[in-house]
Amino acid sequence: MIDGLDRYACLDSSLHRWDPRCKFVGLIALMFAFSFVQDLRLLPAMLAVTSGLYAASRMPLAFLLTRLRTPAVFVVVVATLLPFISGTTVIARIGPLILRQEGTVAMALIVVKFISILTISLVLFGTAPFLTTIKALQALGLPPILGDMTLLAYRYLYEIGNDLETMERAMGLRGFRARRFSSHTLDVLASLAGTMLVRSYEQSERVYKAMTLRGYGHSPRPRAQFHRMVCIRAHFRDWAGLAGVFLVAASFVAMEIWLRGLGG
Amino acid sequence: MHIPDGILPITISAAGYATSGAATWYSLRKIGQKEDAQASIPKASLLTAVFFVASWIHIPVPPTSVHLVLNGLLGAVLGYYAFPAILIGLFFQAVMFQHGGLTTLGVNATMMGVPALLAFFVFRLRRVVGKDRRWGVGVFGFLAGATGLGVAALIAWGLLVATIPAHLDAEAERASIYALTLAHMPLIVLEGIFTALVALFLHRVKPELLKD
Repeated sequence: MIDGLDRYACLDSSLHRWDPRCKFVGLIALMFAFSFVQDLRLLPAMLAVTSGLYAASRMPLAFLLTRLRTPAVFVVVVATLLPFISGTTVIARIGPLILRQEGTVAMALIVVKFISILTISLVLFGTAPFLTTIKALQALGLPPILGDMTLLAYRYLYEIGNDLETMERAMGLRGFRARRFSSHTLDVLASLAGTMLVRSYEQSERVYKAMTLRGYGHSPRPRAQFHRMVCIRAHFRDWAGLAGVFLVAASFVAMEIWLRGLGG
Repeated sequence: MHIPDGILPITISAAGYATSGAATWYSLRKIGQKEDAQASIPKASLLTAVFFVASWIHIPVPPTSVHLVLNGLLGAVLGYYAFPAILIGLFFQAVMFQHGGLTTLGVNATMMGVPALLAFFVFRLRRVVGKDRRWGVGVFGFLAGATGLGVAALIAWGLLVATIPAHLDAEAERASIYALTLAHMPLIVLEGIFTALVALFLHRVKPELLKD
């Protein structure tokens, strides 16, 4: 049900070797810099940086395309609707349809920014095991409760997903088909959700007892219990990589401000 | 209802991170004041995973099917843990399924999480009629579910209307956003009914899950 986001985390590339904390800070800064861009002239550079980063990650193109499949619906809707419904300056008439300049520009900006940010996010989370990235976030100061909740929720996500599949299959074998809307269907599906909550609640009590036996909760303050497991060291090349990505991000922001100044 | 990357201006994304930061701080502060804060973490974590998975349950509404947001139910069951749970759930959705986005995580968390906290307060109002009354659980469960999605839809509407670029055909854009928001009305009722049914199920089977 949940396919591996970090299935290519074992590859060897400069991005895989990059300190996860520096990688997180640098690539998030780049995503926000991309988000700041409003000028069409910066889009080719944005695509070039994104392609360069993805190529440097050595992850296969098929992986990116698979990951883009679900959000592609959004891209298709924006690309087909926006140029025809938005704006006042007419570029061309195609039968009854009117292609408008403002809508086309907005479409190009939204689609390129969306694909670029999404690809960078894939590079960020695909080039290190997911748990390493979470531990890096803890090292960067993620509140202890959030860190522990994220790790535990991630640990049980797969298991609960499998439980749901099993329960739905069992309901199907007993003749339940959720094909029409009725109070009975709603009641059965609400019971399914309720049963999952009850089972997980009972499991959480066993999990807590097991964690307590292993020392969880023995620190005087509710600090991150998994924090001690974090052992990440940054070297000169990691800081140099971070400085390089900051420079690229700052260049996009500076160019955008400069181009706005020229336009305005 | 997940706003993807690349749509919102960076000022709105930053404001979203500021409001979700404030809501997280408030929730963690309230959680920290509880005596058994640490003991509740496994419960909140597993229930976070359940809500993430339960949102994959599709309700048949011929000719299609809809999936529920369940933020109202999450507020009713998790209380102050609801906001961190939604933040984590949306983070998982953004990085695992590319629903929503990382730059819009703060906005999406505010849009779903603040109504979840409101739903928690609404559900807690059942004390007025008696905490263990079955009809009270049903009525306030419905109100919590409807509040969760209803307020989220209102926030989404406000955000989209406020961020229409000036050079676009604002009237046409506004009309489509109004239509989209109105389309949520039956879903708000459905979300309320589903939340009430789950709350009644929990009240019957495991009432301690609904204790404040």
